[in-house]
Amino acid sequence: MAVTDLRDTRRARTRRGPARIAARTLATSADMGKPMLSFLFVLAIWAAVGALKLVPEAIFPAPWSVWSATVEMWQNGSLPKDLAVSCSRAAIGFTMGASLGVALGLLTGRVPLVRTLLGPFLSLLRPIPAIALVPVAIVWFGIGEGSKYFVISYTVFLAVWFNTHHGMEYVPDIYLRASRSLGASRRREFLTVVIPAAAPYIFAGLRLGVALAFLSLVAAELSGASSGLGYRLQEARQYIRTDRMFSLLIILGALGASVDLIVHLIGRRIVHWQQG
Amino acid sequence: MDSKQLHGDVRINDVAITFKGKQGPVTALDTTTLRLLPGTFTALIGPSGCGKSTLMNAIGGFVEPSSGAITIDGSAVRGPSEKVGVIFQQYALFPWFTALGNVRFALRRFGLPKAEEMDRARAALSEVGLDQHAGKFPQELSGGMKQRVAIARTLACEPKVLLMDEPFGALDAQTRIGMHELLLKVWERHRATVLFVTHDVDEALLLADDVRVMSHAPGRLIRHYPLSQPRPRAFSRSGSELLDIREEILGLLRPQKALAEVH
Repeated sequence: MAVTDLRDTRRARTRRGPARIAARTLATSADMGKPMLSFLFVLAIWAAVGALKLVPEAIFPAPWSVWSATVEMWQNGSLPKDLAVSCSRAAIGFTMGASLGVALGLLTGRVPLVRTLLGPFLSLLRPIPAIALVPVAIVWFGIGEGSKYFVISYTVFLAVWFNTHHGMEYVPDIYLRASRSLGASRRREFLTVVIPAAAPYIFAGLRLGVALAFLSLVAAELSGASSGLGYRLQEARQYIRTDRMFSLLIILGALGASVDLIVHLIGRRIVHWQQG
Repeated sequence: MDSKQLHGDVRINDVAITFKGKQGPVTALDTTTLRLLPGTFTALIGPSGCGKSTLMNAIGGFVEPSSGAITIDGSAVRGPSEKVGVIFQQYALFPWFTALGNVRFALRRFGLPKAEEMDRARAALSEVGLDQHAGKFPQELSGGMKQRVAIARTLACEPKVLLMDEPFGALDAQTRIGMHELLLKVWERHRATVLFVTHDVDEALLLADDVRVMSHAPGRLIRHYPLSQPRPRAFSRSGSELLDIREEILGLLRPQKALAEVH
């Protein structure tokens, strides 16, 4: 949703003439308005279901119960702590996986020997879901932070590697021809031609990696953790606190969407030549 | 400038190029011998698929001849090098660099101090009339402007040989005429040996010292027209000879006629 809306903003910005500012203001409010409308719509139905008491609170809590559960978790200090713990796990796991993924993707994309030795094997790993790795991670790294980092970074790594690798394969031949006939060394060609040409794919991989970091974070925390949003969800199940569950789910969604938006905006600034 | 004229002697000796096809090898270029004298402008014209781009790619070092040898100033071509500049129909500008950045990319091989590199890049852009657009990215420029940046970039590298593969094929007629003038102007200054591949007979006759015509595939050179009319040429004032040659080449390029030539 965020993607289409940003495109609209950009289109509005390229408009010329006196109507430009007005158009931009309108477009921006419309951009903000559309998702808001959708949220308000769902919230209204949700509130109606809650107010009419169609479903027992313990199964499907009303919006205000979820709100007060959020406030409660915030005030008793568990929510700030869970947020900090989960975000740091996602960030560390993402950083490890993404840097390894980009590095190895550049290698398998460029060095035939590495591609032959590792490419098919890594492709075989891709269909294995993150949650299936949790038992192995626990045996290898215990129930401490190590196993969380492993599960998250592994998932992120594969996505980022795959996109980087393919980005390298799609570097247009004409750029390489131009670069070589302009006397660039292989090193300069790699740094100033190949990597920029693959950058749009690398950023697509990083964006996917961020989304996967949050997905695998919950998988990693569902077993053997003592804090974190995923753990708190599991704990809420034991006490049948659906209000807390809803609150945590909404927070996870909002968190993932915001980080995705941030990565998208950063990527668009860096890979500025890639239009649409 | 005189010393430059001694460079860019291209010799193509018995070069044939075959590619592996589904039904055995396909001859893209039949055995061809051609010499491009230093500082001359040769246009290569022929029907599509006749192998003129293949010959050009071989000189550029992008394709290896199956037999024969290509030398430039006596040394064999082994892969792309800064001796041979290439202008592509699709410009091949790097979209992550500005116009100035693209030219600086070509200047990097000289290892100049930054200020000097900037000055030379600006001078190269101003030579093609783009000083006002130095800071723009290729996607902000028109087709003609992009090709002008590409010309500035390639010449900045000071190649001995300049290969142009239908460089103005994607431009409209009006822009083309402007590009012809510009090309002749910068070529007068740089005097690289030019090989210019085109579909357009008029373009070949207006620009070149030598027009070479290729046959239908498998391509070989079938005609050679040396032209000595002073530039800038125009069909209206450069004499009837140009028009006669034009008719003859158009006849050769007509599918039936050209087939008859080969067999």
